[in-house]
Amino acid sequence: MTTFAELRPVETRFRLDPEIMAGPIYRKYEKATRKIWDAKQLDYEPDRADWERMTDGQRQGIATITVRFEAGEQEVTDELLPMLAAAHALGRFDWVMFLSTFMLEEARHSEFFTLWHARVPELHSPEDKAHYWPLRDHTVDPSGRFTVGEPVYEGLPKYGKKLTAAVESGDEAAIEGAFVQFATLYCTWVEGVLTMPSYEIVIDTTELWNVLPTLRQGFKNILGDEGRHITFGTQATRILIEKNTAYEALAHDVIDEYRGNAVGMLEYQRNVPGLDLEKYQSQKARHYLNRCREMGVTPDQSLVDQILDPEIDFVVGVEAG
Amino acid sequence: MARRWQCLEVGCGEVVTAGSDDELVEAANAHVHEAHGSYELEEMILAVAEDVPEGQKA
Repeated sequence: MTTFAELRPVETRFRLDPEIMAGPIYRKYEKATRKIWDAKQLDYEPDRADWERMTDGQRQGIATITVRFEAGEQEVTDELLPMLAAAHALGRFDWVMFLSTFMLEEARHSEFFTLWHARVPELHSPEDKAHYWPLRDHTVDPSGRFTVGEPVYEGLPKYGKKLTAAVESGDEAAIEGAFVQFATLYCTWVEGVLTMPSYEIVIDTTELWNVLPTLRQGFKNILGDEGRHITFGTQATRILIEKNTAYEALAHDVIDEYRGNAVGMLEYQRNVPGLDLEKYQSQKARHYLNRCREMGVTPDQSLVDQILDPEIDFVVGVEAG
Repeated sequence: MARRWQCLEVGCGEVVTAGSDDELVEAANAHVHEAHGSYELEEMILAVAEDVPEGQKA
């Protein structure tokens, strides 16, 4: 009879070795553990005082974004598990370690927005927050060329299920392909392109109005965390695409599915006087080109041209997650 | 060894070089701030930074 020790030799029970610890993903894990911050330690009183003196229009403009961030961060915290399961299935322990910090950080971001909403605008219930969530029926491209999807609320569960099914199948190529799609959707497209201008808009707006220093600090802290998440996703994707170049097409397919979300202009840009509108469209193009460079894939020039085309004129809601 | 980073803002292509990663992040962000009124995250700069081969102009 085969003993358990024969089935699972002791040497296979150790996963962390000097080679892994010298690698780029482990170093991201190390950095994440050094950069821990606590949303409860921030001082919300200055923001509370600013909120009292802000106009209704200013409050509405800020809350329109922050409620989306709160929900988006919570959705992501809840939908990341398939990535962790896939990293385990692929035997990449350094990815498992990093993804454990990734999930913790998304949970922390969720907590930050919940605390900020409770202590500053006093939005406590889902109904309080939903009041500030703009409807999508005014975000249709009038030319009909582009559709605006829901990459966070529809895309992540969909591609998460696909990744989970691949993990359960045990087919390594299926897991890798599904991982490329999930990481491209979330790390590259949502975090690395669509959400980036929203951070800058909030930071620029609160600087322009000289208000809400704690919200600004929270956004900066979150951005620091997101930088690791984005570059983990692009690096992991690059590793898999270098192994099998057919995966590059899978990455482009996911981006193409939610192309309209980048081509349209963020509705928030239109609502805040004094913002440089072209700046945020140029940023999206820059971020897209940078993510392609990090993933080692060829950018779709037509997408860049469409993002920058002033003739394409429709707005999309803030992406946050 | 010197380190190099290239800005991918549309129509830019500025190449920034520096003697270390820390200096490169600072110099790259100074460029993005001055030229484009924006900033780049440290992780993203370092993710694509390249070594400048010996003998090549930094």
